[in-house]
Amino acid sequence: MTDEPAALTLGRCDACNARFLPTDGPCPRCASVRTQPYSVPGLGTVLAATELANPPPRWPNPHRLALVEVADGVRILGIVDSPLPAAGDVVSVRRDGEVYRLRGEPTPS
Amino acid sequence: MKVQVASVGVCRFGKRTEGLAELAAEAAGRALDGIGRRPVDLLVVGTMLAHGSHGPEALLPHLAGRLGLESASGFRVEAASATGAMAFHVAAGAVASGRYTRALVVAVEKMTDGTTAELTGELAAALHPSEVAAGATMPGLASLVTQRYIQRFDLDPAVLDLPTVHARANASSNPNAQFQKPVSREDVSGSRAVALPLRLLHCSAITDGAAAVVIERGSGSASVLGLGQGFDTLRLVDRADLTTFAATRIAAKRAYEAAKLTRKEIEVVELHDAFAPFAPIHLEDLGFCGAGEGPAWFERDWVRRDGRLPVNPSGGLLGRGHPVAATGLVAIAEVALQLRGEAGAHATAHRPKIGLAQTLGGLGSHNFVTILGSPPA
Repeated sequence: MTDEPAALTLGRCDACNARFLPTDGPCPRCASVRTQPYSVPGLGTVLAATELANPPPRWPNPHRLALVEVADGVRILGIVDSPLPAAGDVVSVRRDGEVYRLRGEPTPS
Repeated sequence: MKVQVASVGVCRFGKRTEGLAELAAEAAGRALDGIGRRPVDLLVVGTMLAHGSHGPEALLPHLAGRLGLESASGFRVEAASATGAMAFHVAAGAVASGRYTRALVVAVEKMTDGTTAELTGELAAALHPSEVAAGATMPGLASLVTQRYIQRFDLDPAVLDLPTVHARANASSNPNAQFQKPVSREDVSGSRAVALPLRLLHCSAITDGAAAVVIERGSGSASVLGLGQGFDTLRLVDRADLTTFAATRIAAKRAYEAAKLTRKEIEVVELHDAFAPFAPIHLEDLGFCGAGEGPAWFERDWVRRDGRLPVNPSGGLLGRGHPVAATGLVAIAEVALQLRGEAGAHATAHRPKIGLAQTLGGLGSHNFVTILGSPPA
């Protein structure tokens, strides 16, 4: 049983047409304030993932990070809350304050 | 106005008990000895973290007084791991402008008094705030770059052990290097995981060290031929391609154009191998080979001191050590030593006429390229 992934809100810049995350504040590419939010599925494809042997202070050990591509070529660096995914895996993406949380899909048995 | 490197001073790298100013003074004293104590009217100092007896704030007046340069003008610069390169570029421009006659450039870092956790946090200051918020570290992001590089060019990951083997071999004949013993491929592949595929011996170390250079008007074997710098997005996810450092390509283009020469005329290179997989990427970005072709240069030993292009004859960051703010100036100083025939035991097989130093600021967000050598006849 799988829940429908929560939607993720991306930004689109009217000035330079960039698509981006996070959506707070001006366009990260050209600093225009003429931006619009739009909704995409909260899913992404892992490009690379790693586990830090020495996380910075106050972070749990192990601390796993992944570079993930969501809709429209937008990439995020997210914190992995599941076993380390491999490149090409699809993960759920959820915004949690100023960070993104990633979780691998359960492997079909 | 033409300017040149007139003298070089490098101290021994590693764990040093001296304070920040004393380390800087050691390198500076050697450089001033090298010009017979001729007067210096500009002091440019670079430092970033400055662990130990005191922070970086008072380093400039401390050093000016310590060196007897009370009448010189002074500036302190900071550009993360490119601090030393920025200090050199600022001083070279200032002397070339005609405003100053002779500049002493000093870059220093004191790291070993900090814990690994403290240093990891402080070095992350060179990353984007959103990356720090996600708990990213420099090795963590370098691991992602490495994975993209391996994927894109379908590389055998073991080939990325070779830059460390190369660096440590060269460092073993540089008496100032932090690491004095060679390592094998098995040593590298068997070292502990840091952020896989990166292991401990793929990563540059925590190092104390300083370098100094005197720049003066005139021409010689280490004339300043071309300076270039370039920026890239601070946030890694905003870069379309992680397998190249665009800021290096911009910096190299500007430096080659300023020097009116091409990469074919470069005979020695010191590049920023903060992580082993970066060394082949830098060779590609500097135009020495095509995308994905860098690793073969290490497999074929073309980068050795007697190879077609000696790379990091000093041992580079992986062998010599990486005192962050000092690194960019050491790279330039080491190229100057090769050009001036003063490199001693780690001299290249043939004395070069033109050399290039490349330095990354942060994870490649602000990169510098410096070309030195004999001016065209």
